Amino acid sequence: MEGLVKLSFYCFTAASIALAGATICYLVYAIGRIRVRQAILATATGTTLTATSTEFGPGSVGAGRFGSLLAWFAVLFAGLAVLLRTIAAERGPYSNMYEFSLAFIFAVTLIYLIFERLYKVKQLGAIVITIAFGMSVYVWTLPSGMREVDSLNPALQNQPLMTAHVSMAILSYATFAVSFAAAVLYLIASRRRISWLPSAEMLDDIGYRAVTLGFPMLALVLILGSVWAYRAWGSYWSWDPKETSALFTWLVYGVYLHTRTLRGWRGKRSAIILLIGFGAVIFTYYGNYFFGGLHAYGGV
Amino acid sequence: MAQVTATRPAAGRPPLEYVVDRIWRFFCSVRAAVYEIAILAVMTLLGTLRGSSVPNSIGEALPFLQPVIDRWYGYDFFHSFPFMFMLALVSVAIAICTLNRAPSIWKTIANPTVTTTHGFLNGADSSASFTSNQSTNALAASVVETLKSKRYRVLTETRGDEVHVYGDRNRFAKLGTFPFHLALIMILVGGIVGARYGFRENQFTIPEQSIREVGHGTGLSVELEQFSDSYRENATPDDYRSDLVIYKNGEEVKRGSIRVNHPMTYGSVIFYQSGFGQAVSLKITDAAGVPLFDDSIPLGEFHSTSNPDAPAGVQELPQVGYRLNVIGPNEAFDGRPEIDDIKLNPGEMYVQIVPIGPNAAATEIQGAVVGQGDTVTLGGINVQFLRERRFTSLQVARNPGVPIFWTASVLLVGGLAVTFYFPHRRVRAIVASNGGQPGSSLAKLAPLAKRDWSGQRDFFRCVDAIEARLETKPVVKGRPDSPTLAESAA
Ligand code: HEM
Repeated sequence: MEGLVKLSFYCFTAASIALAGATICYLVYAIGRIRVRQAILATATGTTLTATSTEFGPGSVGAGRFGSLLAWFAVLFAGLAVLLRTIAAERGPYSNMYEFSLAFIFAVTLIYLIFERLYKVKQLGAIVITIAFGMSVYVWTLPSGMREVDSLNPALQNQPLMTAHVSMAILSYATFAVSFAAAVLYLIASRRRISWLPSAEMLDDIGYRAVTLGFPMLALVLILGSVWAYRAWGSYWSWDPKETSALFTWLVYGVYLHTRTLRGWRGKRSAIILLIGFGAVIFTYYGNYFFGGLHAYGGV
Repeated sequence: MAQVTATRPAAGRPPLEYVVDRIWRFFCSVRAAVYEIAILAVMTLLGTLRGSSVPNSIGEALPFLQPVIDRWYGYDFFHSFPFMFMLALVSVAIAICTLNRAPSIWKTIANPTVTTTHGFLNGADSSASFTSNQSTNALAASVVETLKSKRYRVLTETRGDEVHVYGDRNRFAKLGTFPFHLALIMILVGGIVGARYGFRENQFTIPEQSIREVGHGTGLSVELEQFSDSYRENATPDDYRSDLVIYKNGEEVKRGSIRVNHPMTYGSVIFYQSGFGQAVSLKITDAAGVPLFDDSIPLGEFHSTSNPDAPAGVQELPQVGYRLNVIGPNEAFDGRPEIDDIKLNPGEMYVQIVPIGPNAAATEIQGAVVGQGDTVTLGGINVQFLRERRFTSLQVARNPGVPIFWTASVLLVGGLAVTFYFPHRRVRAIVASNGGQPGSSLAKLAPLAKRDWSGQRDFFRCVDAIEARLETKPVVKGRPDSPTLAESAA
């Protein structure tokens, strides 16, 4: 068991390194080439003038390919890290922020790669993989005591429900990260047509599709949470801050889904709501830092 | 996407009708719904932040806001009138909007308009045209067959020498929006039913070998036969269990054990394990020896005000106008022994009487230490400390709203899944002779997928299939970009 926990940590380390590399590759790919040219011109009066021109071009295809390869490595190792830990602890990854964040890194990288395959675009990686990498940096800053496996408060011992509840939460946050990235690129692409960015229409569609996955999942998170709360303490809803912050997040995406059908709201304003939605996701994720309440012994 | 429309009031309509119409249109409006949900979201956020230190941090940064911050902490958003009002407003809007949309959605499913216009086909964001040397009817048949092979329902109508084609897929999924939106109302109904017709006791304590009445018209009482617990090395509780007997009108009807997460149900009443602690059994009589109290008082629900390490229990004795406080020995010896002002030994209790209520005895507060088995007399009553016992702490609840909530949850997730994963796709086409050229016909197709990238992509999948069948290249407009420049260059 000790050994498995250690091995899991080594896998996470490998995933972090892969993510660091993937982040660089995706950034290089998405930002593209910027070439600055200088010309020195001689004028008739004998003075010289310097003219600069900036040229933009698509990023190197090789960087994109290598980024994807590294991201798949990260998925593999993060997945192994979660799996080994699950075997060692004999339960899902939900006892503290360390486990939770490992699972998030796995989920967000995987979901991103699925979208990359479906839409055949890699620029979103510059944002989503950076988020995954940022998360792995955060994990390194957590107290190392969290890497140990300990047993849980009796109230949290309802395994299948807890596992489903937390896994759904992680998956929905991961899909919202993809829609966030799509919204950011949308806002850039709708301002100025940059030939090597995906079209605004496609980015709008990616954002929407990600929400159509995340929105029902977040509804399930709330529902599974209530089933579990009902079993554990007899009340399916207690206006606990962690519950209400998830509800807030859900309502923001509810607003988004309606604005998408409205003239004047569709497009830019919808994209801004996606940014707000992801802010709400982050707020909910780190809610334990702000709140006490029933979820406090999820452990920060 | 369904368009929500309501007819404009004709000039000269009676004012009442006009007002009703305006209200109806307000409730049907998705634009209004956006604001309504946004207001609910903001209230939820404010209510959530109230449980955190965020308002305080704002107050520190902007001191002039302090009065607002104080009111923020003091306000229970989720049980406030504005919140309830918004919930009610949204429910009414959903109900009216559902009524308003149902006929047009049903028409789209059952009886869609088949014919279209050249204007629509020419103006569409994306479209495709095939020319063929087949006859008009043969070309139309190819289009129809291909769409059918893509699981489209296809309807045709002949107008002069033109064949109009309408094809759609997943039409019944349009109904998914109804269970989903109605589920939102049901969740609120479930909440109201639960609050109105249910009850919930959070601190239902029973000392070992005692019986407590549940009340709330259930006619139930519960006995704790035995309590058992186990601990981990670090002294945190690992597991604990109460063996209960349930009586209905005095007759035993059920017995069993409950643990955390493993409650017991009798009828619609559920018993949950929530905690446990120590209780003291006391026997109290008045000066004449008449029994006033013969039961156990849980310790630990209260603490001594002068010494927070000492667990306390409280029992009111209204017959004699006293409140009885019982304080136990310090629990945390490593805490702050210096503030222990009573210095009880294990096996001793401190009992204290405080005059209260309309019969308040004209005595001062009195207290004394009492050992196990001993009796003390305070203010004219005799308090005998029989022994220590354990108590279990349960939550007892009945919530008739729960089945409504579970049903709504299934409808909600199911309705969302149907709406999102089976999108309604629609294609229109006109097949006609090609500009009057004999032996040449033209099929022009366009999707109803304005600014809908996935919809357009699915449309072009159909176009590709028609192309494969006819072995003719179409003239296309607005094909969504799939691979980006860099990718296709590779
Ligand atoms: C205020 C009352 C509401 C009204 C009048 C309303 C109305 C509508 C309408 C007309 C549509 C169909 C839009 C279209 O396909 O063109 C819709 C879709 C939807 N509504 Fe509502 N709604 C309300 C409240 C809510 C709430 C509170 C939520 C949850 C947060 C919600 C979530 C959704 C979702 C998820 C869709 C599907 C969007 C899609 O198909 O892309 N609605 N609503």
